[in-house]
Amino acid sequence: MFLGAALLILAIFGAPLFAIIAASAMLGYQKEGIDLMAIAIEVLGIASMPFLSAIPLFTFAGYLLSESKAPRRLVRLTGALLGWMPGGLALVALGACAVFTAFTGASGVTIIALGAILYPALQHDKYPDNFNLGLVTTSGSLGLLFAPSLPLILYGVIAEVSIDDLFRAGILPGLLMLVMLGGYSLWIGRGNRQTLKAFSFHELGAAIRESKWEIPLPIVVLGGIYSGKFAVSEAAAITALYVLFVEVFILREIPLRELPRVMRESMLLVGGILIILGVSLASTNYMIDAGVPQQILAYVAELVSSQASFLLLLFVFLLILGAILDIFSAIVLVVPLILPIAAQYGVNEVHLGIVFLAAMQLGYLTPPVGLNLFIASYRFEKPIMNVYYATFPFLVILMLAVIIITYWPALSLVLLGDP
Amino acid sequence: MVLLLAGMMIVAVGQIVLRVFFSGGFVWADELLKLMVLWIALIASIAASRSNRHLRIDIVSHFVPKKYARVPVMMVDAFASFMCGVLAWQSYRYVRLSVGDTVLVDVPAWMVYSILPVAFAIMSYRFLLSFGTEARQLVKPGQQ
Repeated sequence: MFLGAALLILAIFGAPLFAIIAASAMLGYQKEGIDLMAIAIEVLGIASMPFLSAIPLFTFAGYLLSESKAPRRLVRLTGALLGWMPGGLALVALGACAVFTAFTGASGVTIIALGAILYPALQHDKYPDNFNLGLVTTSGSLGLLFAPSLPLILYGVIAEVSIDDLFRAGILPGLLMLVMLGGYSLWIGRGNRQTLKAFSFHELGAAIRESKWEIPLPIVVLGGIYSGKFAVSEAAAITALYVLFVEVFILREIPLRELPRVMRESMLLVGGILIILGVSLASTNYMIDAGVPQQILAYVAELVSSQASFLLLLFVFLLILGAILDIFSAIVLVVPLILPIAAQYGVNEVHLGIVFLAAMQLGYLTPPVGLNLFIASYRFEKPIMNVYYATFPFLVILMLAVIIITYWPALSLVLLGDP
Repeated sequence: MVLLLAGMMIVAVGQIVLRVFFSGGFVWADELLKLMVLWIALIASIAASRSNRHLRIDIVSHFVPKKYARVPVMMVDAFASFMCGVLAWQSYRYVRLSVGDTVLVDVPAWMVYSILPVAFAIMSYRFLLSFGTEARQLVKPGQQ
């Protein structure tokens, strides 16, 4: 008990989570008289999980893209497609960010790569400053539910759910978020009748030609995954190799000597995620053996009886969780424990995944420690309180979206084919 | 790490080419990929220790002035260093036990697994260094 409290305090002081998790797993082993050596076997379990190679490969591809001029090309292309509408620039921002986040795996690079282009452009078009700040901050995690984002893949690996199913299930909920935020943006921009520019086939053609190397990428990757031609880990390998080839050898936007630095930079996040995964295998296996999910279930059963009230409880829990933990640690630590509980209440595991990730997406924006808030504050040199305030309306809208996603399972499940 | 990442791409894509065009492939390639993920995980984790980029709950570092955060940071570093030491020791014991096992057809398993104690030992050392830096700052403030 005392040691548990000490671990909690260390965690709040900012101890690396993997060390905390390893410590709690070992305490559990000690209590049960299991040889502590067992933790090594559990960490080696990283090497027996399927599809895991997708995580380093997609992350690497995402970092490469964000270091190249691809973000600029993406903004130009979306601008050519959507810029003719009044309030078009806000929609451009939302659309471009969603695509970019999906491909770079929600690691905060979107705000840095795209925000730097979009924020000044929005200011130039005389949108209210707080709106711009909130929009860019929110957009940084918007594509989370679209394939092939890292959290979706990680949830699939952990929950042993088909990743293809998750990719299908994320489409409509992700679009719902986009539409709701888009609607809000248009409403804010209603006084601003100024269009970005008239629609022109000439500009669209030029933008397409400029992005001709990147356009095949989503088509091949998403087409390949959705048609079942290749597994997600294979898609990741193709993406990484293709992006490497295009950005370094064809477009030459990243010099070869910079490559080791980009690789190293991208692997920092991967190392952080995978080492937590390794030690969590130990702690969750121990907790499942010790019957922790059943104990939580017994406790939860006293509080709620229906699926609807369970979902409400889940939603509140995930909001709190998202405010303290990053999305990757949360998936690895919590999903194995709530899966059996959710199953008791008849919640579909694919739907649970979408709800989990959608709620965790809010965590990027919830004060006090939402990751996007800090990145935006740092990147745009705004006081953190200002960013909290600017992001709040967007947070409320996304929260509404998450509630809809939670209580409307069909939205996630209708594209799966079988009910 | 660079070689591992490049190797991973080549093995994985090679595997697809073999499957699509020759409807074949190597049984060991899949296992190799998974072991590469393990190695990347641990080597990247060392890098994350060095750059102080491990995932954590970031309240103190954002809201407590650096001057007052020193003691908590020292406690955290000491704890992390100790835990990595324990992990290194326990995985070393496991590696010794696995002598005689093989992976990838006929590679001795201990060679592959030894990344575990090595990586944790290096991480333990890194956290210790960071602890030392903070401690010196506490004793003689202002010196870098």
